Amino acid sequence: MSKVADQITYETDDPNRIQDVGWTFREIWRRTRGFVVTSVNLIIFFILWEIVTTYGNINSLFLPKASAMFQELWVGMTTRAPEGAVFSGSILDHFLHSFKNLMTGLGIACAIGIPGGLLMGGNKYVESILSPYVWALASLPRIALVPLFILFLGFTTTMQVTIIVLSAVFPIIINAWAGVKTTEKSLLAAAKVFGANRTQLYYKVVLPYTLPFIISGIQQGIGRGLIGVVIAELFGGSNGLGYLIQRSADTFNTAMTFAVLLLLIVMSLSLINFTRWLEAKVAPWRNVNHL
Amino acid sequence: MPASNENIIVAEDLTISYDLHRERKKLIALQNISLDIKKGEFVVLVGPSGCGKTSFINAISGLIPKSGGSVKVRGEEVTAPGPDRAMVFQDYALLPWRTVESNIRLPYELQNLGLSEEEKQDRVKKSLELVDLTGFEKSFPYELSGGMKQRVGIARALATNPDILLADEPFAAIDAMTREAMQAEMERIVMETGQTCVFITHSIDEAILLGDRVVVISYRPGKIKEIVDVDFPRPRMNNSEVKTSKKYAVLRDHIWNLVKDEAMQTTRGE
Ligand SMILES: Nc1ncnc2c1ncn2[C@@H]1O[C@H](COP(=O)(O)OP(=O)(O)OP(=O)(O)O)[C@@H](O)[C@H]1O
Ligand SMILES: [Mg+2]
Repeated sequence: MSKVADQITYETDDPNRIQDVGWTFREIWRRTRGFVVTSVNLIIFFILWEIVTTYGNINSLFLPKASAMFQELWVGMTTRAPEGAVFSGSILDHFLHSFKNLMTGLGIACAIGIPGGLLMGGNKYVESILSPYVWALASLPRIALVPLFILFLGFTTTMQVTIIVLSAVFPIIINAWAGVKTTEKSLLAAAKVFGANRTQLYYKVVLPYTLPFIISGIQQGIGRGLIGVVIAELFGGSNGLGYLIQRSADTFNTAMTFAVLLLLIVMSLSLINFTRWLEAKVAPWRNVNHL
Repeated sequence: MPASNENIIVAEDLTISYDLHRERKKLIALQNISLDIKKGEFVVLVGPSGCGKTSFINAISGLIPKSGGSVKVRGEEVTAPGPDRAMVFQDYALLPWRTVESNIRLPYELQNLGLSEEEKQDRVKKSLELVDLTGFEKSFPYELSGGMKQRVGIARALATNPDILLADEPFAAIDAMTREAMQAEMERIVMETGQTCVFITHSIDEAILLGDRVVVISYRPGKIKEIVDVDFPRPRMNNSEVKTSKKYAVLRDHIWNLVKDEAMQTTRGE
């Protein structure tokens, strides 16, 4: 078989086309830039905070010193409540409670939301039956349901998890649904032309196409779920970070309140960055430029 | 292999329309197309943008429903795609999550062509050589240029070794030099394998160089305006006599005028 290359004389395969970039200073900087800038930024922020609260005339009840907040966070994360204690002052205990609930809730939300969304995208009968309910519940502020679920389930972990599931499930459903619906027609056409049956169309085209959508759904679900966690715990229960915020504020331990808020931010950002990483990993072609 | 007398694709009074849901109307893209294509024949479709060329080969492939008339392949009404018909898509249609190689192997995964693993590997390798993409097996489509993607689409279709090749502007995004080389390859493959080819292009030179017949389609609704026979001996590529002959100039002029009349209608609008 004669190659096209034999007939073309201009160079197409210069071995120098792909060059080793190596570890130049620029390359190292390019990779670590984000981390370095953020760290310096945060350090300056907390130092300014410390200075303002030390030398400014600020009531520590409203704004504690940054160092006091870190102190509280450190102590809270390194101690556990003694066996059999009625109330734990340990942040770690409450964090583990909330984190476990969040993960359980997200797990259940995925288990319902992913198949649900895929079915809605794939079958127009399921879609037309379910979509009014999905839109109705998705547009209802979930916080409005909390009193109702307290009535149904009491101040229990089940109630808290239910609220988290309800908060997280709709973005997952809607994203999976949209993914299936927007699968590129030409990709489906190509698969059909080359012999795909219905099942293969789903496994080889629709699912891989929808995967990044599902991951963004989960990403939004994490944000909503975290709101659900805090709301459920603020309203009812004697456990979790939401409860701890309430309790520390009631007892005028503002440093603790700030410590818990900081922990919530860190947890949320870590989870969201994890899903971003996952998204970039499974769908590099989407080449999402994050804001 | 010259075209035999046996018809392989027969379109009779084929009409294709699209529903315009927003306006409760339908748009007739192609109207009463009747065309017989012989086995081993190379038929080129030309016509202004939007005249229904893609719709026509989509109907042959079985991707879109007919609104009237019939298309038969080997005497059987086309209702769905089949392994005897491969297609090169105008918009490439490569799966973005698959590497070049894996995209070319897609047809093997979807249907059993009765090939051994060695045969598959061999075909993938040869079709990649053919489109000059050896070394890019592990690249993803988003890492390739437009013309390279288009060549992957060509390789994917050729690797199935189809009886009928439906090619929708397969060289549109490829530079002039590579294009010429690929035209020569296309002609050689079709001559060697006896494949039947329905080929769309906007280039009149390409149409004359490749086609046994050039079908000029009119603008909206698409009808066959004229079928021009091209009987230069093959191989025509790399044969400088063809392009410099008087007959070539006359043909080119003729087809050019046919298409121009139609294209003028496009710009005048409706
Ligand atoms: N899915 C669709 N829905 C509605 N109208 C369509 C659809 N596909 C094509 N059309 C219409 O049908 C007509 C013919 O389209 P087609 O794609 O067959 O043209 P074409 O000759 O291939 O054009 P080009 O040279 O630009 O590729 C166009 O006017 C287009 O607007
Ligand atoms: Mg087209």
